[in-house]
Amino acid sequence: MNVKTVNSPPLAQAQRSDVPPAETQIRILYYMKLTRELEDRIERKLYRQGKVLGGVYVGRGQEAIAVGSCIDLRTDDVVCPSHRDMGAYLIKGMDLRTILAQYMGRKTGPTKGKDANLHMGSLSHNLIAFISMLGDSVPVAAGIGLSFKMRGQDRVVICPFGDGATSRGDWHEGVNMASVFKCPVVYLCNNNQYAYSTPLERQMAVENVADRASAYGIPGEIVDGNDVLAVWAASRRAIERARAGDGPTLIECKTFRMTGHSAHDKADYVPSELFELWEERCPILRLERDLVKSGIMTASAIEEMQRQIIADIDEAVRIAEQDPYPEPEDCLRGVYEE
Amino acid sequence: MAETKVIMPQMGESIFEGTLTRWLKKAGDAIKRDEPLFEISTDKIDSEIPAPASGVLQRILVQEGQTVEINTVVGIIGDETVSAEKPPAQTPAATPPPPTAAKPHPQTVPDREPDREKEEDETSPGHVSPVVRKLAREHGVDLAILGGKGTGIGGRITKNDILHFVEERKAAPAPAQGEVERVPMSAMRKAIAEHMVMSQRTSAHVTTFFEVDCSRVMAAREKLKPEFERGGAKLTVTPFFVHAAVQALKRFPILNASVEGNTIVYKKGIHVGIAVNIEGGLIVPVIRNAAEKNMQQLAQAINDLGERARSRQLAPDEVQGGTFSVTNPGQFGAVIGTPIINQPQVAILCMGGIKKRAVVAENDAIVARPMIMLALSFDHRIIDGAVADQFMADIQKQLENWES
Amino acid sequence: MAVTTYVEAIRQGIWEEMERDENVFVIGEDVGIYGGAFKVTDGMLEKFGELRVVDTPISESGIVGAAIGAALMGMRPVAEMQFADFISCGFDQITNFAAKCRYRWGAPVPIVIRGPSGGGVHGGPFHSQNPEMYFVHTPGLKVVCPSTAYDAKGLIKSAIRDNDPVLYFEHKFLYRRIKEELPSGDYTVPIGKAIIRREGADISVITYGAMVYIAMDAAKELEKEGIGLEVLDLRSLVPYDREAVLETAKKTSKVILLHEDTRIGGFAGELAALISEEAFEYLDGPIRRITAPDTPVPYSPPLEEFFLPKVSDVIRVARELYAY
Repeated sequence: MNVKTVNSPPLAQAQRSDVPPAETQIRILYYMKLTRELEDRIERKLYRQGKVLGGVYVGRGQEAIAVGSCIDLRTDDVVCPSHRDMGAYLIKGMDLRTILAQYMGRKTGPTKGKDANLHMGSLSHNLIAFISMLGDSVPVAAGIGLSFKMRGQDRVVICPFGDGATSRGDWHEGVNMASVFKCPVVYLCNNNQYAYSTPLERQMAVENVADRASAYGIPGEIVDGNDVLAVWAASRRAIERARAGDGPTLIECKTFRMTGHSAHDKADYVPSELFELWEERCPILRLERDLVKSGIMTASAIEEMQRQIIADIDEAVRIAEQDPYPEPEDCLRGVYEE
Repeated sequence: MAETKVIMPQMGESIFEGTLTRWLKKAGDAIKRDEPLFEISTDKIDSEIPAPASGVLQRILVQEGQTVEINTVVGIIGDETVSAEKPPAQTPAATPPPPTAAKPHPQTVPDREPDREKEEDETSPGHVSPVVRKLAREHGVDLAILGGKGTGIGGRITKNDILHFVEERKAAPAPAQGEVERVPMSAMRKAIAEHMVMSQRTSAHVTTFFEVDCSRVMAAREKLKPEFERGGAKLTVTPFFVHAAVQALKRFPILNASVEGNTIVYKKGIHVGIAVNIEGGLIVPVIRNAAEKNMQQLAQAINDLGERARSRQLAPDEVQGGTFSVTNPGQFGAVIGTPIINQPQVAILCMGGIKKRAVVAENDAIVARPMIMLALSFDHRIIDGAVADQFMADIQKQLENWES
Repeated sequence: MAVTTYVEAIRQGIWEEMERDENVFVIGEDVGIYGGAFKVTDGMLEKFGELRVVDTPISESGIVGAAIGAALMGMRPVAEMQFADFISCGFDQITNFAAKCRYRWGAPVPIVIRGPSGGGVHGGPFHSQNPEMYFVHTPGLKVVCPSTAYDAKGLIKSAIRDNDPVLYFEHKFLYRRIKEELPSGDYTVPIGKAIIRREGADISVITYGAMVYIAMDAAKELEKEGIGLEVLDLRSLVPYDREAVLETAKKTSKVILLHEDTRIGGFAGELAALISEEAFEYLDGPIRRITAPDTPVPYSPPLEEFFLPKVSDVIRVARELYAY
């Protein structure tokens, strides 16, 4: 199987002028590592301990996409994340305990037990809760962008989704609409090559998701989804375009899904050599190497960051585990405005 | 053979119903195609409707005065002669068959099996809808009172029925609590009650009274008594009166008839019912073919039926089919009575008590004679006073001239 | 007071709300320059501009999704489905996104989705449907069906002001046939309240939409034979006026449920169950339903006429129920 990849040049040889400042790079690493460790704790520990029930979907190996695109968003910018975009929630300010309470179905989560895993949102954080019908967020993002235009606001919407979601009718209607109305949206495709068990060539006849952009009259860009700085640069360009009123961009991040579709998927439909190949392309390892190489961070600083992250997660798990479940009758509440 | 449906036509685009005002033919009549068959009235027009086919009007399904939707089948034309059956009365809307008969059976005065006191069955009011049950509960109404006599389909008690009942009951002065005892009627009592009012509603009751000198009857009775009693029959005066009535009925057949709509139905046989008082009510066993019986046989029959009536051993067919009735309140001391006709008969003879009275004889002498008052209640729909009196005069003449 | 058609009443309602609240906007196909396929948004583009009267591509899912997005940001979109039949193209956005936001994460979605429903105009299967029940069945949505011009205006205003997603089904047969004197000035009709159109003692007819007029015509005819129909116009299906339904059922004890929608899964089933559950002891006869049959809406006149409930149906059933 021929998996499309894009190799971006190493940082040192970059002719790019759009490299984030050191502080941003550190923040980027932090959020990618936080994403990785949090999801690891959820999937490999809590879920297997029966403390998280139902389905769990993590974005292992794809952390660069949510983090690279969202790291510099304004507070009033909006994100419509999908199920592999934990980093977006963390960057927009959702705390660990709240996220863990959500996964464990507690009253203290953002949905108070009404929905599961990453199906959560918060208007005050400008995070829009997605639904299982992937692709539905695409027209919603267009509408959000439309409202900014109507009100003369220079806010933008980031709308990430997977390769599979681009097959849905809603995706096409939404991108089409956003294009026609020049909505300030950044459409970000996490092309991790698989939609559950469906490989890319079964999902679409075009070689790249970004090839679709021209069908809608918008720019399409392909980046190495495992190079977080490349993602950052492409996103920054698209965000600036949107803010300037030039309409949507479709950015395709080529990456790989390092797990099964969900925690209960063995993914033995994926040739095992691909896992090996992509393991070496891990975005976190790459950035760590680059940061040490460029002197922005030392190895021990990175270790310290890791320790702190684990400690924070430990504490959050400890508290969230003790949080109460919702009352049974809460089932009836919140259907309509009360 | 082929049947043609006769339908209510649509007389105008916006018309969707019509009233059948008059049938111009009756069931069983021959009819030619295009011949006027019935008349209708609608919002727009009154019309004479021609027959759609030739043949015989086999069935009439919609009665005069009924309003039905257009295209409703009002009758059937066939091409065979069929004996005119009494058309079943049908409402335009098809309804499930009524759970209880709307009209009581004509022979309901006596119960078929009077010793059966199955209160639940006979006093059951049939299907009761939830609101009726609820209202009955709230107002303390025993639904058995209204049983079978509601205005809903099949005599169903409707909400309105029970509300009306409650209203009427309120209008009647209600005794204070504790001053009354409510006892549900027995089946026989219910049947009698229903029959009595039904009879009064049905016939045009008139009663005529005759005084009869029973001297000869009493003498004959004394003479015949030993002979009868040897034959095992106690001889009362009743057989004399029954005998006289039977003979008179031969001469005045209209008193042995029935009324059906506008038709007088003369009964060929004379079957005399004798009212017998039993515990809780009364029963009228029938002496069949009384005209063919002699005095001995009459007496035997009267005794036998009376005994078996009192001991509740009558067979069902012994209380049916009567064409004339005789009742005897005189046995309890009544001077006379004004009896109610036993439907579907048209006359009933009533015997008062025989008492010695002072009467004026032919030579103006005052003498003591055993006198009886007889009353005849008759149905003035088909029996005029003159005829009734002639009938009674005939009886009187027989009795006063009895040959021992 | 001015004589206003039902369709004009809707237009006025939306117009007045757009004047009243700058967050209100209209979005849909042909709503701008064309003024709407049925002219419901006629004149609005000139008055309010293209940022508030948005012509879209043919994308019901896109229209609804965009409306949801804008509503999440605090705007109050009025999305048009050119024919209510097309709402099925946006079914997922409505039932899975809009309907569940508040329940799941406390986010209100104050959208109105409106469109012409109903038959009797030779529209065939895709221009004549009554799709309300798909949405009545989805918790989190509200559904209204006005029958008069007065209610059309009052309910569109209430729908726009409501903070939950409201589906507003206007009956196309009534658009220009219904003319009423409407009061000037602002007024609303509350969502969730039914109204007695006609009082009667004998039989309750509970209905909504264009069937209200069928019931009223039947009532006039039946009056001549002494049968008094009480006609209750639901106006709202979600929430619906349970008290009014039970009150009329208890009053007459005989109920006819009438709707133009097809039979199985139609609203009459819900009402019949409610009445049976909560007013059983008041019933003096079976609850009867008069509905369209369970078929798509046919086109040819004899077929469509057979399909749609008629005055004669109501009369026939009322007579049967009365005699019971």
